[in-house]
Amino acid sequence: MAGTPVTLKGGSLAGALEAQRERLLPCVHCGFCLPACPTYNRLGDENDSPRGRLHLMLAVVEGRLDPSSDAFQTHLDRCLGCRACETVCPSGVEYGTLLELARETATEARRPDVFSRALLTVMGSRALRALFFLGGRFMRVTGLANVAVRRLSGDGIAGKLRFALAMLSATEEAGLERHGRASGSGAWVSAADDGSSLTPSPPVGSAGVLHGCVQDGLYARINEATARTLDANGFDVRVVTRQDCCGALHAHGGDLTTARRLALRNIEAFERVGVDWVVVNAAGCGAAMKEYGVLFEGDAMEERARAFSDKVRDISELLVSAGPRVGAPVECSVAYDHPCHLMHAQGVTAEPLQVLNAVPGVDVRVVAKADECCGGAGIYGMTHPDLGARIGGDKVAAVRDTGADLACTPNPGCMMQIGAGLRMEGASGEVVHPIELLDQSYQRAGYYT
Amino acid sequence: MTQTLVPTVADRLRAIVGSDHVITQPDRLVAYESDGLTAYRVAPRAVVLPETTEQVSKVLEVLHGEGIDVIPRGAGTGLSGGALPSSDGVIVGTARMNRILSIDDQNRLATVQPGVINARLTKATEPYGLYYAPDPASQSACTLGGNVAENSGGPHCLKYGVTSRYVTGLTVVMADGEVVRFGGAGLEAAAGLDLVGLFVGSEGCFGIATEIEVRLLPKAEGVRTLLGLFDTMAAAGHAVTDIISSGLMPAAVEIVDHATIVAVEASVFAAGYPTDAGAALVIEFDGTEAGLDDDANRAEQCCLAAGAIEVRRAASEEERIGLWKGRKKAFGAMGRIAPDLLVQDATVPRTRLPEVLARITEIGEEYGLNIANVFHAGDGNLHPNILFDRQNQDELERVERASREIMTLCVSVGGTITGEHGVGIDKRGYMPLVHNEVELEMLRRARWVFDPGGNLNPGKVVQ
Ligand SMILES: Cc1cc2nc3c(=O)[nH]c(=O)nc-3n(C[C@H](O)[C@H](O)[C@H](O)COP(=O)(O)OP(=O)(O)OC[C@H]3O[C@@H](n4cnc5c(N)ncnc54)[C@H](O)[C@@H]3O)c2cc1C
Ligand code: SF4
Ligand code: SF4
Repeated sequence: MAGTPVTLKGGSLAGALEAQRERLLPCVHCGFCLPACPTYNRLGDENDSPRGRLHLMLAVVEGRLDPSSDAFQTHLDRCLGCRACETVCPSGVEYGTLLELARETATEARRPDVFSRALLTVMGSRALRALFFLGGRFMRVTGLANVAVRRLSGDGIAGKLRFALAMLSATEEAGLERHGRASGSGAWVSAADDGSSLTPSPPVGSAGVLHGCVQDGLYARINEATARTLDANGFDVRVVTRQDCCGALHAHGGDLTTARRLALRNIEAFERVGVDWVVVNAAGCGAAMKEYGVLFEGDAMEERARAFSDKVRDISELLVSAGPRVGAPVECSVAYDHPCHLMHAQGVTAEPLQVLNAVPGVDVRVVAKADECCGGAGIYGMTHPDLGARIGGDKVAAVRDTGADLACTPNPGCMMQIGAGLRMEGASGEVVHPIELLDQSYQRAGYYT
Repeated sequence: MTQTLVPTVADRLRAIVGSDHVITQPDRLVAYESDGLTAYRVAPRAVVLPETTEQVSKVLEVLHGEGIDVIPRGAGTGLSGGALPSSDGVIVGTARMNRILSIDDQNRLATVQPGVINARLTKATEPYGLYYAPDPASQSACTLGGNVAENSGGPHCLKYGVTSRYVTGLTVVMADGEVVRFGGAGLEAAAGLDLVGLFVGSEGCFGIATEIEVRLLPKAEGVRTLLGLFDTMAAAGHAVTDIISSGLMPAAVEIVDHATIVAVEASVFAAGYPTDAGAALVIEFDGTEAGLDDDANRAEQCCLAAGAIEVRRAASEEERIGLWKGRKKAFGAMGRIAPDLLVQDATVPRTRLPEVLARITEIGEEYGLNIANVFHAGDGNLHPNILFDRQNQDELERVERASREIMTLCVSVGGTITGEHGVGIDKRGYMPLVHNEVELEMLRRARWVFDPGGNLNPGKVVQ
């Protein structure tokens, strides 16, 4: 029987991964991460499980597997990067970091497809990005996106395009004003009436808001709401110019060079203004920025990057640290879903719900399996249409099962994914960020006047 | 060297389960080369992932016809190498057979496919006020098929018994693809001999279980959980002996040593155990509310009399989960303190615990190895965790020798070579320590009855 203990072969093609042997070793192969993984749960192939992917990485580091091999390429590419595996791992394996390095190794060994490269190029450049999102807003305003979602067929290229446009149309603003004003009499109580704090508490520090790429391009209203609600809670909100995309998309795609370039620009921009807090309203960006220190590991920049990362907070964390002030009622029910990059990557779960608690009248219904990825994961729905549709479909069903008026999740990527899924099924598909609700509630309470 | 599968055989398998569910490319077989025991690695020839009993039956028929060996695999959390492939064998995995087929709350029975995860069954039966009692520390990941094959136990098996007490019926696909049914509808001892009992613990050598009927229990009315902290393992060991001999019937008594406490506290599952404690005991009582506080008080007295520095009591369900975390996640947390880990599994008479633990520490010192202990103290089921680095060939050999010495020690005080992890490949060599040649021959013959061709999990348990 061939049960010989293992000896190691020399040689390595592992590139960026090579230095990560130490990070791989804590994996004891216990398998606790398997049931947490959305791809393993649906495919049943251990190559598509966290433990399997880590084992492929180890095989590359050990020089037993070629990083250009189908196995390494396909199965790493199929990972959502949702990091649910990290939350359950008793050994503290830093899967997210390893994935980025493994993807760099994978892309060095084999160039990614044109589509993915083009997207990263666009997001990495301010000018191209501006143009791209201008086009997007045009399609959205003219309703072209909506028409296309209804008309296009669901297969092949047309299917991918349809999904992309559904994501775009999902960024439309939800009509929050109409909720809770059925009587038309402004029957809500102002927070002042029930004795909750109306006078802002003394300033709790200065904050600069990350504009981000997608937020800036399609969700400007969320950035504005972020600044307003911070201000209403006593923060000294400063404008930070010359900031850039956070680089998360590039890091996840294995382009760590561009990710570092973008990170450096942000570090410089925020340092220039000198804020106490770097505030992020997109879970994916927040996770990436909290890990800038790791991104620059071993580099002269490392210490500065770590100091920067220490200041990064999700908007919900910061608001909860200051209260937040209770606003006026907005009567509606929301289906709340946890973004992976908040729950699994940042360990932030209670705060967004506490923010929603500051809005009287909101009936929060946490969706079933809220700890599982919605399938958004960047542009997963387009790069992996079948699997993406299965994962996304399950999430949409869970959202619909709540019977809530609106979907609600604090990450633009998930908002687009869930909204697109709802729209593809012909549902109205309104999705809001918790901050939008808080902002509406504050407006009604008169905190901004 | 792993042989590849003849294309026609692969095609026939694909026709049965669908082309996405047969893995034959060597690159993709790497992920299957170990289970929870990473000291061994062998890639299989192929992996097949069926979804139904019928598919399993057809797959086994094809493989049997070709004389190809079959290795059943659940979640691959086994710690004795039971699911370790052979280079000329094919893995038949149950990952896609993960449906709960029925829950009969009236008769307190559930029927599941083998790939259903242990903890998921308990979660699904919760709304009926029921649960599935055997709770391996790996319950959040291991499958019921694996549990049946290994006759798995867990912390609460001290009071409730192991898997074999709960399996009441099985649908099994035999080596040649024949489908048979044992027991069923709660009738453990069906007419004739107890084939269900024989099958449970057969480590994948008798057939592939494709439907499993289990008995469920009503959730206990109340629970009390204590954490006793001690300076030394010996003191904790004495407390265990005292608790059990005083006539108390705890649901669980688990012990965690200093090295383990340090590892757990450094992990994401830090349970708040003080890192300067020499040992910790997790003691739990459950049942009807009346009397629980009394039991807990008496156990506390036993701990204090044995020299406990402190005894804590969980005041809420959250605190209870917290106290358990340190125990349940211990194995994974070990990854923090060493690259590789060999978990031993042996049972000794409870009264011999203190001396056996002391001797294990000595063995560790003699071989220059770190050994961390975390185990089911209540039933004397030891799990010495030997920490090592596989890249160090010399250390690997010392691990081998120390393991053997620990096993011999346990057998010499009247114990046995496995409590719950099975024999698999890892402990095959120790079988002669506990069985004479006549008994070994009986095991071989029992196996022959189920699998005359010797195609199922060959090389495991006995040769
Ligand atoms: C951290 C950790 C803690 C653990 N704690 C415990 C514990 O407390 N108690 C305990 O008993 N064990 C424990 N184990 C060991 C392991 O989890 C159990 O043995 C478990 O039952 C294995 O289940 P699996 O699904 O992973 O099976 P696998 O490891 O995949 O397979 C185990 C054996 O079962 C066979 N098999 C699998 N499915 C079938 C089937 N459908 N039909 C026939 N044969 C099959 C395989 O061939 C193999 O021989 C632990 C393991 C880990 C990693
Ligand atoms: S849970 Fe962690 S240690 Fe266990 S197999 Fe997964 S990554 Fe490895
Ligand atoms: S990040 Fe998500 S998809 Fe990727 S291995 Fe971990 S759990 Fe699976």
